[in-house]
Amino acid sequence: MNLFTSFMLTSMFMLLLPIIMSNTQLYKNNLYPHYVKTTISYAFAISMIPAMMFVSSGQETIVSNWHWLSIQTLKLSLSFKLDYFSIIFIPVALFVTWSIMEFSMWYMHTDPYINRFFKYLLMFLITMMILVTANNLFQLFIGWEGVGIMSFLLIGWWYGRADANTAALQAILYNRIGDVGFITAMAWFLANMNAWDFQQIFITQHKNLNIPLLGLLLAATGKSAQFGLHPWLPSAMEGPTPVSALLHSSTMVVAGVFLLIRFHPLMEQNKTMQTLTLCLGAITTLFTAICALTQNDIKKIVAFSTSSQLGLMIVTIGINQPYLAFLHICTHAFFKAMLFMCSGSIIHSLNDEQDIRKMGGLYKPMPFTTSSLIIGSLALTGMPFLTGFYSKDLIIETANTSYTNAWALSVTLIATSLTAAYSTRIMFFALLGQPRFNSLSPINENNPHLINSIKRLLVGSIFAGYLISHNIPPTTIPQMTMPHYLKLTALAMTITGFILALELNLAAKNLKFKYPSNLFKFSNLLGYFPTVMHRLPSTMSLTMSQKSASMLLDMIWLESVLPKSISHFQMKMSTIVSNQKGLVKLYFLSFMITLTLSLLLLSFHE
Amino acid sequence: MSMVYVNMFLAFIMSLMGLLMYRSHLMSSLLCLEGMMLSLFIMMTVTILNNHFTLASMTPIILLVFAACEAALGLSLLVMVSNTYGTDYVQNLNLLQC
Repeated sequence: MNLFTSFMLTSMFMLLLPIIMSNTQLYKNNLYPHYVKTTISYAFAISMIPAMMFVSSGQETIVSNWHWLSIQTLKLSLSFKLDYFSIIFIPVALFVTWSIMEFSMWYMHTDPYINRFFKYLLMFLITMMILVTANNLFQLFIGWEGVGIMSFLLIGWWYGRADANTAALQAILYNRIGDVGFITAMAWFLANMNAWDFQQIFITQHKNLNIPLLGLLLAATGKSAQFGLHPWLPSAMEGPTPVSALLHSSTMVVAGVFLLIRFHPLMEQNKTMQTLTLCLGAITTLFTAICALTQNDIKKIVAFSTSSQLGLMIVTIGINQPYLAFLHICTHAFFKAMLFMCSGSIIHSLNDEQDIRKMGGLYKPMPFTTSSLIIGSLALTGMPFLTGFYSKDLIIETANTSYTNAWALSVTLIATSLTAAYSTRIMFFALLGQPRFNSLSPINENNPHLINSIKRLLVGSIFAGYLISHNIPPTTIPQMTMPHYLKLTALAMTITGFILALELNLAAKNLKFKYPSNLFKFSNLLGYFPTVMHRLPSTMSLTMSQKSASMLLDMIWLESVLPKSISHFQMKMSTIVSNQKGLVKLYFLSFMITLTLSLLLLSFHE
Repeated sequence: MSMVYVNMFLAFIMSLMGLLMYRSHLMSSLLCLEGMMLSLFIMMTVTILNNHFTLASMTPIILLVFAACEAALGLSLLVMVSNTYGTDYVQNLNLLQC
């Protein structure tokens, strides 16, 4: 009997302490952010112990503490599932959050409500932990909704800005559409299997699982910004950079992928669902990579990069490799958070300048940020033996050697080269060349908070892939033998993307900007998707309801059909038919004379 | 013929003359229409009562009802004319417009 569950629950409970303390004096002084950061670092250290235990002995636990209620035959209790996925994800998430908290101590330093910011970030982390360790769908839904609410509060942090409020509302609405799918799945499981616990769902045999799996796919589409419900993710960049780094790159948006990974025993048998997932992920990754090519805001490019990687994770689930998708989640968290933090460092140093057309030549004044940005981009594109290589290259190899949809495969490969292209674009415009920014901004990256946090994630971006993939228990066996051209595909596509983008950027650097072509406009306006989908359906439904309620019912059926039409008809007919002149007295007089004359004549007739 | 009937018949003829010969106001012909209705009503009632014509006893009531309807129609026409022209002079009705 070891201390596995004690350590894990202690680590979880420690995260609650700063929230509980928020009513006391501790919340009001300016050491509160430091307190939160140290709490999270201790929680990370403590959660590494169960992770080591799991690595060495493969021990998994399910903790069912408290029986809440039983609704007829459904038993709802508070239960934590500490299996392969949770145990590895929790230390990774805590490590990344620790670095982000330290970064936001530098970034949000001048904000008067910094304590509330840290409290919100911590509440988000707690709900994410609830989501990841949930053993039944009800607890998962609590975590699901919790991350949605905290995302809303954090995107709209600067609520005086109208765009931020719109973006927060957009995030909530798109997530809600996904929640419809989640609740469909919950209702189906309740009605057909009488359980919301994973163990019972995975054991019972059932013939046709299309409906709940479609519901779960819709939920993942909403939460992980797949094609169709994706516009909220680039709009969510209205929030502060630590929020983008934590929520919209590492943690919240992987909740949808995590849900599908949790249900992998059900998805293994259903070929239709796998094909659907594969095609959805493929179109997402290509579409968002195309949109990222012509954006000018550095945070939006990184947001589209996140969206593209999420599509790649969904593709991995579609080829029936949930463990690879999970590995990609863990490794992606490191370098994506670091990319966001480097962007935040650049933005703050240039006095809140986010347009890459106004940056340039930062490799001399900001060497540390430059090197970490370049390492992060290389890790993102899958440079051999950095972090991204261990997951991304394995995914591409497995997709190449499996019996899968050729369109989805080729689209994923094209998106891989586009990843390299837009990464080159960021590096070229922001870091290289001559400066294009206002020369009066004091560029300073010497703050220890900034340096330490990025340094930690830098070490993670380089080594974490190796460490994680060599220490996890064996899962599905990766393909070991393949022809050499398949093995080198990912590397070749990436190098192609790099070279093409570099050549194009260098060649077009001093050319005059002509009017944008149609392809450029398609890419820059996000494929016209928000322009069309945010205006057309709402206009159509509102116009239709106005026409049917007001015009059809009121004005036509109640006014025009009987009353007005009768009066109109009568008047028209009378004016057409009559040919009189209106000499009323003459007509009456002639009537009377005729009457009198006839009476006189007839009465004196014999 | 007895004097009563001649009297009422003369009243009817007077009202008819008044309906067909008037100077300017449309209202006066409407009033004479009411007079015609009144004399008809009395004549009908007296005849039925004198001849003990029991089965036709409801006819005066029916006559009253129809006369009320026609009076309402006449008045509404008067109101329409008065809305357009301000008065009910008959010489206004020369355009065949409403």
